[in-house]
Amino acid sequence: MTETALSFELPANLAVEKFIAKLSKKTVIELALQQYSLKTFYDSFDWRLYNANLICEFNQSKNGSSLSLISSLNGKVITSTELDDVPAFASEFKDNVMANKLAMLLEVRALLPLTTVDLQIYKINILNREQKTVARLMIEQYDQLKTRLSIQAIKGYDKAYIRLSALLQDEFSLKTAEKGLLIRALKRQGRKPNDYSSKLNLKLTPEMTAAEAVRVIYKTLLKTIKLNEQGTIEDIDSEFLHDFRVAVRKTRSALSQIKAIFPDEHNAYYKEYFAWLGTITGLTRDMDVYLLSFDDYKASLPESMREDLNPLHEFLLFKQAHAQKELANHLKSKKYLTTLHDWELYLKRFIEKEDLQKNTHISIKELADSRIWKVYQQVLNDGAAINEDSPAELLHDLRKTCKKLRYLMEFFQSLYPPEKIKTLIKALKGFQEVLGNFQDYEVQEISLKQFSEEMMQQGTPSNTFLAMGVLVQGLEERRGKARHDFTGRFNDFKVPLNQKVFKFLFAHKSKGE
Amino acid sequence: MKVIATYNIKGGVGKTSTAVNLAYLAAHHGYQTLVWDLDPQGASSYYFRIKPKVKGGSKGLIAGKRELDGLIKGTDFDNLDLLPADFSFRNLDLVLDERKKPTQRLQKLLKPLADEYDFIFLDCPPNITLLSEAVFEASDILLSPLIPTTLSLRTLEQLKRFIKDNKLKHLELIPFFSMADRRKKMHREIIEHLSEEHPDVLATVIPYASDIEQMGIKRMPLAAYSKKGRSIEAYDALWQEILRRI
Repeated sequence: MTETALSFELPANLAVEKFIAKLSKKTVIELALQQYSLKTFYDSFDWRLYNANLICEFNQSKNGSSLSLISSLNGKVITSTELDDVPAFASEFKDNVMANKLAMLLEVRALLPLTTVDLQIYKINILNREQKTVARLMIEQYDQLKTRLSIQAIKGYDKAYIRLSALLQDEFSLKTAEKGLLIRALKRQGRKPNDYSSKLNLKLTPEMTAAEAVRVIYKTLLKTIKLNEQGTIEDIDSEFLHDFRVAVRKTRSALSQIKAIFPDEHNAYYKEYFAWLGTITGLTRDMDVYLLSFDDYKASLPESMREDLNPLHEFLLFKQAHAQKELANHLKSKKYLTTLHDWELYLKRFIEKEDLQKNTHISIKELADSRIWKVYQQVLNDGAAINEDSPAELLHDLRKTCKKLRYLMEFFQSLYPPEKIKTLIKALKGFQEVLGNFQDYEVQEISLKQFSEEMMQQGTPSNTFLAMGVLVQGLEERRGKARHDFTGRFNDFKVPLNQKVFKFLFAHKSKGE
Repeated sequence: MKVIATYNIKGGVGKTSTAVNLAYLAAHHGYQTLVWDLDPQGASSYYFRIKPKVKGGSKGLIAGKRELDGLIKGTDFDNLDLLPADFSFRNLDLVLDERKKPTQRLQKLLKPLADEYDFIFLDCPPNITLLSEAVFEASDILLSPLIPTTLSLRTLEQLKRFIKDNKLKHLELIPFFSMADRRKKMHREIIEHLSEEHPDVLATVIPYASDIEQMGIKRMPLAAYSKKGRSIEAYDALWQEILRRI
């Protein structure tokens, strides 16, 4: 059993062969293996493995190829599996341990290659008098990166390990390697870990003018849109489109909520554009959601009916592929590309021109306080007006208002004490869930009915419609439950403590609204 | 964690080569595996080139002064560790006898290793002693190699009676033929005869072969120096048969 610990770097002027020859004069060694290998690092687009302290590497050599998950904290191999090609999704792995581990971390995200390095590997055994291996040395020689040595201790032979690391440090004057190989290999490409996150991490300061601050918000959202564009077109996984759409929706929400920064006609022009982007991406996202929910749909049916639902899956796949193709064409269209480019330029020029609108020069804190306070009041009033008999529309409107509030709080989060605002966002999120479910179940019921009409014309077996009927019934029940839960969840949200914190954070400085 | 003891009342029946070769196969298939060399002669320690020495000797070990984990040595093979023998193990019986509940002692010492290992092989010295009784308590499987002679039949029956008399219900006895020489008529006849009377004897027979004997010169498990051959296939088949049984 081996455990990795120390890593060293070989100075550029010391060739590996020479090092091995010198080492053999100091201690008894045996070259166990020497081979050429290709190492490709993998992670999801949003660095889920890296953030879980895992390095995922695919090693290919003439002896075969394997994918390993390695702890970035201690270098230990968590799990490894032999395979020829790396599948995109966790569920496609044959090895159960690997599949489960990846599924837990990646969820719906695909594994993507990050960077590849080619290297010469030397495995050296350090032997004692009995010719027993008491420590191992692995040398990895790269083309453009420094050669790396790592010592693997063998259980029960601590002294040999200490002796070897002392030898490398004292006799060979080797320096311990600081950064991991992945980081160094990425740096060569001008990249670094976590260069994408789906979380909106805005750093605003209270002194910023509203114009400066909204520019930061719009630019950050634009960056997210652009970063997800290619993955959306290629349909690598469903999260690209999801993140793309969220950034579009947030931009649109900001344009309608943070007024009097841009001239009205400009505001309206771009609002229309982002609304269009929402529309052209909607159908694909809907299909993605149905496909992602399919296993749940199936599980909600009596066991004897589950297989009858399969034609719906085929239907959804077909529809998704069709919608995706149209979406990809839209994202390559002149309208999409030129307007997005105009928007980018507009954000750049706008500040330079110092276009004077009413809110341009007020501080962002002042604007944020007043907007959040106002929308919060609206949520409280609209929520209070809903009783057991209120029509669904009122809940849908409230859902939209809550979303507005949520986006505002997320945009301006960095202006407030983190713990306090996080508590409020969490409370709001909990309330939004019940409203979201209520809406989603209804939309799904309507869609399923529409799908069944389309499928009817394709000669789908009647048992499938029976199963879909049971599905719709189940959704109806769930919707009823969400409707029933509304009052309780609204009461949770408006507890005096939350109201107090809302008032403390946003009300005291708001003027006139 | 499954504890497998390779044991026979009689000596020289291939207990150590069974423990070493099966442990190697288990480790090779990805199971975290430990061999505990309980025989003062230290044959399995020798096969792994590990010095047969335990700090504190049998007294310290049985007293539990040191965690077993700290005495374990990594072998040259992935997933495979060894707890070496010590010459003082010749006194293990006496040391055990001084303890309260001596037969439960090994089980207690092994308990902390349950999370770390999938399989623990106990390579035991022969005879029925206090140590072997402690081994029976601690083990899930008693893997017993038999040389196809009339004497083996006797020792197998003795062992069965002992297990029955001592109500060792948790313990599964798995006998199999070892060091079988196909050229000897008596070996062939006994294998046939005994298999009829004792259907619990495994179908796989480990042959008497020179490549197994070479282990002493190569000082490593058979599969580590020989890639194919009748003996390798036999150990593979034996391991698969045991896995199916447990």
